[in-house]
Order: sequence, then C-alpha cells, then structure tokens
Amino acid sequence: MKFSALLFVLYSVLKIASYTNSAFKKYIGKVSAKVLIKTEDGERARMFIFDKGKVSSFTGDQKKFDVALVWKDADTAFSVMSSKKKDASFNAAAEGKLKVLGMSVYAQWFEDGIKLVM
Amino acid sequence: MSQISGGHLVAKYLKEVERVGIVFTISGGHIENILDGLTQYQIRTIDVRHEQAAAMMAHAYSIYNNMPGVCLVTAGPGFTNALTGIANAYLDNVALVVLCGRHPLRDDLTGALQEMNQIDMVKPVTKWCATCYDIKRIPEYLSIAFRQATMGRPGPVFLELPPDILFVSTDEKSVALPVRRIHKTYVQPDPSELEAAARIINSAKRPLFIGGSGVRMSGSGDALAQFIDKTGFPFALLNNGRGALPDNHPLCINDGGFTGIMTGAPQADVIIAAGIRFNWVMQATKLFPDAKVVRIDIEPHEIDRNRASDVGLAGDCGLVLSKLLPLVEKQDHGEWASKLKNAYAAFLITEQEQRKNPSDPIHPNRLVAKIMEVFGEDAYYVADGGDTSYYGLAGFSSAHQAGVLIPAGALLGCLGTGIPFAIAGKLSHPDKPVIVLNGDGSFGFNSMEFDTAVRHNIPIICVVNNDCAWGMIKHSQGMSLGKDRTTCAELGMRHYEKMVEGLGGYGELVTEDADIVPAIQRSVASGKPACINVVTDPTVTSPATVMFYQNFAAI
Repeated sequence: MKFSALLFVLYSVLKIASYTNSAFKKYIGKVSAKVLIKTEDGERARMFIFDKGKVSSFTGDQKKFDVALVWKDADTAFSVMSSKKKDASFNAAAEGKLKVLGMSVYAQWFEDGIKLVM
Repeated sequence: MSQISGGHLVAKYLKEVERVGIVFTISGGHIENILDGLTQYQIRTIDVRHEQAAAMMAHAYSIYNNMPGVCLVTAGPGFTNALTGIANAYLDNVALVVLCGRHPLRDDLTGALQEMNQIDMVKPVTKWCATCYDIKRIPEYLSIAFRQATMGRPGPVFLELPPDILFVSTDEKSVALPVRRIHKTYVQPDPSELEAAARIINSAKRPLFIGGSGVRMSGSGDALAQFIDKTGFPFALLNNGRGALPDNHPLCINDGGFTGIMTGAPQADVIIAAGIRFNWVMQATKLFPDAKVVRIDIEPHEIDRNRASDVGLAGDCGLVLSKLLPLVEKQDHGEWASKLKNAYAAFLITEQEQRKNPSDPIHPNRLVAKIMEVFGEDAYYVADGGDTSYYGLAGFSSAHQAGVLIPAGALLGCLGTGIPFAIAGKLSHPDKPVIVLNGDGSFGFNSMEFDTAVRHNIPIICVVNNDCAWGMIKHSQGMSLGKDRTTCAELGMRHYEKMVEGLGGYGELVTEDADIVPAIQRSVASGKPACINVVTDPTVTSPATVMFYQNFAAI
C-alpha cells in the first residue's frame, strides 16, 4: 500500500508542478513519454504519461511504455524511491532489485525531472 | 647538373623525409607534377571519387597508423570538396596534411581557372595553412606542415602549392631536405600538481577513468595499462581512444556503451578524464556534477572548459600517466567495478534481448550482434549514421587499437565518413576483416567510393542498416512535429547492393534474420568489396535520437 500511495503522491506532485513549476513546465514542454513504474509481479503499477506539457497517470500494468522501472517488490521500491540517497537507485539496480526495460534514457529523463520538483 | 621539378620535390620529401607510403587524391591539372612525382618516388596513390573522401581516408589513416595521413587535391572544386573532410579532422584533432593546387601566381586577379582565395576559406578549420612561393622552399614548408600537424594537439594543416613552383625545375643539389626530427620535448605538469592529483586518486572510493582520443595519440597504451593495473580504476575509452586497452579488459565498461558512462559517472566520486574534451558528446559534464575531476590534456586551454577541474594536468597523456604511476597507490576497486557493471546491465536488459532474439523486421541491435557473431573481436569496425552510430557504438567490440570507430558521432557529426574510414582501415590492416555498418542515409554520401575499393582491390564489408529513411531525423521529427508531419526524412527502399554489384563489388539483399550470417560469409568468400543491404525495422528509435531530441527540446 505504501508503494502505491507513494506513486500516487508522486503523480500529484508532478501534476501540480506541471502548472506551477516553471522549470519543470519547460522541462516537460516538448516531450512525449510513457514511464511505467511497477513491481515485478505486476500487482502494483502506475503509468506516468507526459504529453508535451501535460501530465496524466493511471494504475495498472501495461505492455506499451517507453521505459519501465521494474522493482523486485513493493517494499524495496518504496524504500529506494523515498530515499534521499543519491545512489539508492544505482545500488538497487546493481543488486538486481531494479530492472529498467525499454529505453533507459527515459529513466534518466524522468529522474532528472523529479529532481526539479522535489 | 641534375634537375628536379617542384612536383617531384614534393614527392621526394614525402618519401625520403616523412616516409609517406600512401597519398589519397584525385587527379587534377594543377597538381599533375606532384602526381607524377608520386609515381617517380613509388608512393602509392589511392585515387578516389570525391575529394571529401580523400580527406576522410587520410584522416582515418592517421588514426589507424598514428602518423599523419596525406591527401592531395586540386584547386577550386577539388579544394572545396575537401573542406568537409578537413573540418572533420579539425574538430577531431587529427593530424592531416592537405596538399592543394591553386591557380598560377602569375594569373592572380585575371580571372584564372579556379582562381579563388582558398587560404582564407580553409584557415578557420586548420591548425596551420600557407602558400609556398619558392620551389627551393618546398621541403621547408612541408617540414613545417608536418610539424604543425603532429606537435602539441594534432590537427589538419593545409599547404597550397601553385603551378609556378610545381612545374618548374631547379638544381636538385641546391635544395637540401630537412632532417626529420622527432622532438622528444613534452609539456608536463608541475610536480605539485601531480602530487595533488595522486592524493585525489588515492582517496577514491568509486572512481572512473574516461580516456579519449588523446590516449591513442600519445601512444600511451603501456602507460595506461600500468596505471589501470595499479589503481584498479574501471575505465571507458571513447572516440579515437577506444582500443588503447582492449574492450574485453575486465575493468573496461565499454560494453555498456554510453549507458555505462551515464550510469557510472553520476555515482563516481573521482573521475580522471584523459585526452578527452568535455563537449556535447560528454554532455558538458552535467553527468558528474559532484565528482572530483582530474583532467589530463595536452592542450592547457581544455583543462577547465565547461567544468572546473580539481586538478588539471597539462601534458601528453602517456607521459602524465607515467609520472603519476609512482605516486599512486596499489588499489583494488573490483567490488565497485562489479557493482557498476551490474548496475548498467540492469539498464540494458531490453537491448540485450534485442541482440539475442530474432525479430521480423530485423532489429538493428540484432544485426550488430549477428555481425559480431561472424567476425568477433579480431576485426576492425566502423559505424556511420545517426541511429546506426548508436547501435555500432553499443554493440561492436574489438581487441584492437581503434578497433571500433564511430566517426559520425564525433563533434562535426559528419555522416558519410564510414566507407572512407573503412577503406583506410583495410589499407592499414589488410589481413583483418574491416566492417562498416552504414545507415542507408549516410551510405549515399560516399558510396561511390566502392568504385575506389574495387579499382584498388580493398575488400571492405559494408552492412547497410536500411530503415528506408533518415532514421534519426525521422523519429526526432516525429517527436517534435508529429509522426504525420515528418519532412525530407523518408528515403524509400533502394537496392544499394545492386549499385555495388554494378561497380564490380559483391552485393546481397537480406530481409530475414536467418540470412544475415550466411550472406556476410558469402561476401567474405567473394574476396570483393561487398555490400550487404539489410532491411531493418523502420519503427525503431535509438536512445541517441531521444537524447538528440531532448537536447533541442531543452532550448
């Protein structure tokens, strides 16, 4: 539940920032990308859709995405995503707790975008 | 009294002083006497079909042999055709000696054939340029040209030779050839700077060594090997520095392509950047804002460009690494290196699957994997194109110095470099397979050089990654303008293999995964310059395109 709630909060923050944060607005203004964040079993999943300045999101596993961040389990995902440590995601990837499917360049883009609003 | 013409004097100098073995050229009236001199002094000429290719081949020859490549072009359009190749060498910091004809001095301002101010045009893209006005000073000017091309940071030089001095003769004994001198003087940093760098290196917990073309130019393979062995730094070798240590070295992260660097650099606490510029290719260092940076560059002005260095070591890479060696401690960063490799592997799962699994249409990553299956690491690879450069960079691996070159990915982003580079590669390494992976768009620029390859029996193997479009542009436009509004981006299906067959080479069309390897094997067996035209998935977008687009989207 904590992980799903975190993803919802993240969506809310991004949505609000798309109206109020000028740096973030510029950052997402020309980009179309579908970023899926999910657990490996697909039980918890949320898609973030960026469409040239607009942010939308819905829950549930999806086949079509530009990049998918696949977490080993919800607890790991929550602990890493809510961590302030710079190397949290890196360590999770190195330890096999995070897999990035699709084009990883979008994962970097997404992470850089989050930095603008957090 | 033995007489020698100016043209023959040029050739004599090239042969006897600089030991030049090959000159890339196209014939022309203004340079006829030099061409005759090349024959007289038994210097091999590779006569191409466009001067741009001559400059590019000489550029690549310089990289493969670590000695200046020489190209000879005629005045006017011969000169202007060569300009793109010269500019490419300039931005790539490669030693290239361009010898060029010009209209006669006596005809200045008369409206002579091909009369134009070549010097002012070429000056911004050369390290040095001049016109020689005196037959007796030809060797002196050539000597300056070669020194300028090679000493300090290398670059292209341009020497204009008018017919007034080429077509006349002088007493051969009255012209002394300069003695070639390899200057052993190197710039090196102050000992206090070396000690400061060593302190940073010795304190590193998550280090990364990034080497560029300067590593290769300095011939620092041995020094680099010892440095890596002692410090235990994981490393990536980019640009023309790739292969200074083999890609399969246990600490090398080149198998991760740019993803490896993008994953590792932000986590690194110390980065040594040797012989590599912090330009757009390196994303101007935004990847590692927090790391301590030690920079090694032969050009002091590069040291703090785009990023203040914690320590800047101006000097030849090999020499600086040798000087650092006794100051650095023996370290083992194996755990960090394994962690780094595991981390970037997690980002490359999809690409690995694309390489492993057949698909219909063929995925470009799969195509690269099948090429590697045939030739392995004992081969030289070149990739040319937009998306194609990405696939080649990420998928090719070689055990050789400059074994993987991606010239279109350099600063000029110059498409059309692939075939000329491959021809120079095969001339430099005739006993090894030389393969160029060409985008279908980039194939168009210099594909007539297959005629050159056939005439001179240079059996390169060109595999066309044919998505029937300017793929990077098409997909980038799709992202920015919309997929229904792409402009000047489609090329359509063309039988490039038949074009090569028509020129006397070997050609095959491939549309299915199972046919890739047999077609390549047949092309090798043919012994001819070959083109395997492989139809690949036109919907595939490479990460490079996304980054390319994001770069503009941020403006």
